[in-house]
Amino acid sequence: MLATIIQNLINALQWGSFYALIALGYTLVYGVLTLINFAHGDIFMVGAYIAFFVATFMLSAAGLPGWAALALTIPLTMILTSMVGVTLERVAYRPLRRKGAHRLYVVITALMCGLILEHANLALLGASRKAFPPMITEHVYNIGGVSFTNLKVAVIVSAILVFILLQWIVTKTKVGMAMRAISYDKFAVPLMGIPMDNIIVATFVLGSGMAGLAGILFAMSYPILEPYMGALIGWKAFIAAVVGGIGDIRGAFLGGFLLGAVEILVVAFFPSTFRDLIAFTVLLVILAFRPTGLFGVAKTTKI
Amino acid sequence: MLLSVENLEVKYGNIQALHGISFHVNEGEIVTLIGANGAGKTTSLYSICRLTPPEAPRVIAGDIKFRGESILKTRPSDVVKQLNMALVPEGRRIFGNLTVMENLELATYSRERHADLKDEYQRVFDLFPRLHERRKQRSESLSGGEQQMLAVGRALMTGCNFLLLDEPSMGLAPRLKYELFRTLKKLNESGMTILLVEQNASLALNLAHRGYVLDTGELAAQGTSAELLGNPDVKKAYLGG
Ligand SMILES: Nc1ncnc2c1ncn2[C@@H]1O[C@H](COP(=O)(O)OP(=O)(O)OP(=O)(O)O)[C@@H](O)[C@H]1O
Ligand SMILES: [Mg+2]
Repeated sequence: MLATIIQNLINALQWGSFYALIALGYTLVYGVLTLINFAHGDIFMVGAYIAFFVATFMLSAAGLPGWAALALTIPLTMILTSMVGVTLERVAYRPLRRKGAHRLYVVITALMCGLILEHANLALLGASRKAFPPMITEHVYNIGGVSFTNLKVAVIVSAILVFILLQWIVTKTKVGMAMRAISYDKFAVPLMGIPMDNIIVATFVLGSGMAGLAGILFAMSYPILEPYMGALIGWKAFIAAVVGGIGDIRGAFLGGFLLGAVEILVVAFFPSTFRDLIAFTVLLVILAFRPTGLFGVAKTTKI
Repeated sequence: MLLSVENLEVKYGNIQALHGISFHVNEGEIVTLIGANGAGKTTSLYSICRLTPPEAPRVIAGDIKFRGESILKTRPSDVVKQLNMALVPEGRRIFGNLTVMENLELATYSRERHADLKDEYQRVFDLFPRLHERRKQRSESLSGGEQQMLAVGRALMTGCNFLLLDEPSMGLAPRLKYELFRTLKKLNESGMTILLVEQNASLALNLAHRGYVLDTGELAAQGTSAELLGNPDVKKAYLGG
């Protein structure tokens, strides 16, 4: 019994880690721009594909051993994915911001950008799925009836490390302070000599970088890539961010892990086709009681 | 001339708020802008600081020059970073979700990374000892007067040598108001140029060297403080008879 519970907990933490890493990007961008970046799930997808190309190159063209390929693929993918996020900001969101467009139009633009990323992928790479090359050998450990792999543990540990790092950035560095300041009062930020655009770019770098990391970890865990892989997981991460209290980093993590736990719990008792239905319903109920999410207090305390 | 505003016309959307006003500030001066509600004082300061719509207006004609060069293309953050001007905005606009200390630290954002700022923090804390007592507190929880001190202290931490203040005495008890004005005088004596917007015209004119009177987006009067204090129209309209 206990073994089953721990087993489920590990699975919940693994999925929660994916959701949390992606939810983070929604929450950071929302905190700074009050924009729900609906293209973010597709940034995650792009991250997974970038990881695929980088890893394939490292393994076959460069002929590196698996561990070295992995060590290079992680930072490269994160950097390249952040560049995609920043490009999106530059070409799609910034012009609208300059014109003072209403938030509604920016959100519609974000949805469109997501679709463009999906279909550009489809057009360029075709409909066939890609198999992600294995970089490390997966070991299965079995302790007291609980089985887990080195990869699962790595996913969970990565998510926790990212959380600690981001929490540090946001609370201790000046860029993080500026991000919090923007979420409180945009208008006064330039008065401190802070170029708003730099902070916005930093936000997209962080959010997309984490989505890129989620992309690699996901592709390593479930090594089949297809252009729509970011859609559902993106929605789920978005909902996780909302349930946690969008704009709050702790909320994004808690929301992600909560969603992971609810899903695993549902699967333990119901047919697996019920998973998403019940999980979303539970989150809806939580929101009905706390519309601002678990950590969302007043409008003023974002990030 | 440190700053000159020349025939400035600005609009909010389609509504014109300034109809061609001109004024200037020399280095080392205290200049005040006075005028009734809606006269365009805040609008003038926002324009000078190059803040962007929708909260700030759009310049449609005229020019704003810093040491003789137009700054109409300057970014608001560069007004602070390169021109060393800092605005204490109307309504304080401190970052309530940050602590007092974080508000001050944030203001040093654009300064040299390893600059030794200890003396500057000390100067702010000497001017406003209250801020030192409350430095770890979330600034939202400060009293109105303390928030005003923080707004001034924050502007100083940008390393400015030209301070623009928009009704800094708003909501301050009389004693604090006089204290703040003494502080401004001290700052000016140590070299700070000041452009002060104030509701309390007699207080402002007693501090300033020169002043301008704005009336619905136009310049109604100008002169040295003594001249304005003696001007019968100004007396009647702004100095309570
Ligand atoms: N964001 C805005 N959008 C539209 N009109 C504005 C805006 N801000 C100010 N105005 C208009 O511009 C004019 C000048 O306003 P401004 O705030 O500069 O006055 P002020 O002299 O600072 O007044 P007060 O003493 O009340 O602060 C007013 O008619 C005001 O209605
Ligand atoms: Mg005003």
